[in-house]
Amino acid sequence: MQSLRKKVALRSGNQMTAEGAIQAGCKFFAGYPITPASGIYKGMIDMLPLNGGIAISSPDEISALTYCVGASMRGFKAMTATSGPGWALMIETLQYALITETPVVIAVVQRLGPSTGGATQGGQGDIMITEFATSGGYTIPVLYPTNAKECFELTLKAFDWSEKYRTPVVLLTDKEIGMTTESVNYAGLYELSSAERKNIRNSDADIKKWKMYGFDSPDMITKFANVGGEVKVTATGSAHNAMGYLKKNDKETIATLLHLEEKILAHKDEMVEVKKELQDGADTLVISFGITARTLKDAVKLAREGGRKVSSLIIYSMFPIPEREIILSCDNCTRIVVAEENISGQYRKLIEPLFAGKEVVGVNKIGSMITTMEIAERIV
Amino acid sequence: MQVQENCTYMTSGAVMPFCKGCGHSNILKKLNEALGELKLDPKDVCLVTDIGCIGLTDALFDKVHTVHTTHGRSTGFATGIAVADKVLAEKRLKTIVLIGDGGSMIGLLHIVNAALMNVDLTVIVANNFLFGMTGGQQSSLTPEHFITQTTPFGNMNPSLDICGIAEASKAGFIARAVASDKDLSGLMAKAIQHSGFSIVEILELCTEHATKRNDLKGSMLAKMAEAEGHKLGILRNDVERREFSVKYAADVQSHLKEMKPPRFIEPIEGHKLKMPVGFIISGSAGERVQSSAGMLCQAALRCGLEVTQKNDNPVTQGSGFSLSEVIISPEEINYTGVSEADFVVVVSETGMKELKAQDIYQRISDKTVFIVDESIELDEVSSKVIKLPLRKMCGGDKASLGALDYVIRNYSLFDHEIFIKLLEKKFGEYSKIFRGEYYLDLV
Ligand code: SF4
Ligand SMILES: [Mg+2]
Repeated sequence: MQSLRKKVALRSGNQMTAEGAIQAGCKFFAGYPITPASGIYKGMIDMLPLNGGIAISSPDEISALTYCVGASMRGFKAMTATSGPGWALMIETLQYALITETPVVIAVVQRLGPSTGGATQGGQGDIMITEFATSGGYTIPVLYPTNAKECFELTLKAFDWSEKYRTPVVLLTDKEIGMTTESVNYAGLYELSSAERKNIRNSDADIKKWKMYGFDSPDMITKFANVGGEVKVTATGSAHNAMGYLKKNDKETIATLLHLEEKILAHKDEMVEVKKELQDGADTLVISFGITARTLKDAVKLAREGGRKVSSLIIYSMFPIPEREIILSCDNCTRIVVAEENISGQYRKLIEPLFAGKEVVGVNKIGSMITTMEIAERIV
Repeated sequence: MQVQENCTYMTSGAVMPFCKGCGHSNILKKLNEALGELKLDPKDVCLVTDIGCIGLTDALFDKVHTVHTTHGRSTGFATGIAVADKVLAEKRLKTIVLIGDGGSMIGLLHIVNAALMNVDLTVIVANNFLFGMTGGQQSSLTPEHFITQTTPFGNMNPSLDICGIAEASKAGFIARAVASDKDLSGLMAKAIQHSGFSIVEILELCTEHATKRNDLKGSMLAKMAEAEGHKLGILRNDVERREFSVKYAADVQSHLKEMKPPRFIEPIEGHKLKMPVGFIISGSAGERVQSSAGMLCQAALRCGLEVTQKNDNPVTQGSGFSLSEVIISPEEINYTGVSEADFVVVVSETGMKELKAQDIYQRISDKTVFIVDESIELDEVSSKVIKLPLRKMCGGDKASLGALDYVIRNYSLFDHEIFIKLLEKKFGEYSKIFRGEYYLDLV
């Protein structure tokens, strides 16, 4: 055990997100200050040049994400970070990254909303705006860590998915995870890696068949062409055919749009990240994510000490929703408790249809972290 | 409909998708010539197009990279492409933005910032004084009195001088021309060749909307601009300003040695804790409350403990209260708040006020120990209260540090020596950090 503990450090989730991005091979970062996400920006400014990359300041959040998408189109892994108010501004460009199938990672460190809300207060209220931000309702993959170390791990995973599936990926965190510093044990972290981009080259055997946005099966992710590379790029944010030319409503164009969703669903089973702790005979399943998942652990421990049989499920891969894992976890339970720091139970409402015939209860609150007792009280 | 013959960068036989007489056709033809004059490898050219009729360009240039973007954002995407190319890649790319008058205003900050950064890209503003694609509505570059679909009695506002904005943004190359100018291709070539940010505003006709509503001919465009106070020709050609990547190499990359990789701690077995210990430390901003809490965490971490430090302060970082909740524990810490404090440290009245606002009396028990400055009034509590002249002995900026040192010293949470070492690294000899009386038995 002692040797595993050799490397420890006091780090915030934001710092670990920056370090994770560097480990993933991120080479471009553009930032705009916003509490509670600025720590990622600062971390990248301080560390990225040392790792062969560049971190720059942008005049607003819209610029920040457009810079990143541009850099990614040029062939480099790119990331930006923001919080609710800045996220609202980035959504136009998020959709552009989605339709142009350009990999990019956006860290969204949630704070209390709506609007400017509370800059130094936490929150878990951006789940809906993150997932349903696109016209058309396309799935944006979202990962949500619960502590600083997982910020590192899941940032790598975010880059991994982003490159593998050619899609923007959101690393969702919150003020409490992003800004709280905590002990981090680095065991294993530097062994992690993330996928490299598959680029098309003139010498490739499939070059004749290759199209900018081509595919011949739902799970196919076509190779990427870098702007400035040897294969001509035709990228567009308008509905387009497989070649990348603006087209209105022909079959191929609609199929190309549908493929944006199909390709994610086809790989859904590889995108499951959850932690189950099922107890034999449990009639209650408690579900949470992010900062509240930590409280969930304490609450479950408390309930079990009190003789209750209870199972728990922590969800890291928020989207695509890990439906199968959720259904399997609640098998014999009659009562489902979903705890999240927002007023309306955003995630609970999304997963509720999976629990037909069961009682589904929310633990919701805004302004401060949900406490152990507040969850424990619902495990009746 | 015009057919372009003998094109090098354009699709051969491309049919212009624009209305008859539209200025865009000529601008693109001249751009094609400009690229030819520069003899650029088509794979070294990227056209980044904006929304509007000018955005239909990408289908016409089948030899070069084309990126058709969102409204106004073209310069933003181009900035990312150009910076990445110049700093991270082969520095080969010529990045050219094609944007209309409407787009240049909605995306103005991207243009301004690219100019300030002096990124190596060229912005071509095709200015036909209105939004053509959507029906001829007024834009910010519509001249005063100009009739558009949405200014039926004439535009009330003067038009924006986009070149003037570029000038104020320190753009290196700025030019304004008319689409019919004989040497338009030469002018564009100069702009593209310029190392750093360049902008060319080209005045042109929207034959579908502008000429139908206004008494306007191509020959009148130059006069119209002058009437608005907008000069024509090359307005600036500054070759001295260093292009972004050159400046970046000199100003940032030359400092790599001063940048520090993340640092680590090797833990020792320096504690005998069986249970988590929670601290609430509260004081005033600017008095090192959170950094003192950080030192407590560093020392605990070094001694082999798990730690969390959750800070709180108002949105302004330099005024009001400053608060830290710290947990040190032999086991994994889940909930990061301190719901029942073992130690409450209060070093200023502002800190006390905030604690009351955060229901401090609900978060203590008989076992809680308060370490407070002598000046602080507490309610009647069943907890142990230790009042010390912390501010007098340690000074305001080290009052919380003194209090924490006191706790570690007297409650053997972990090896005090480790904390002392940390203090000495920062403040010099331990016995001289606080005033002499501090080191006497404090209780
Ligand atoms: S509407 Fe105006 S700008 Fe658009 S193609 Fe026709 S003439 Fe040109
Ligand atoms: Mg226009």
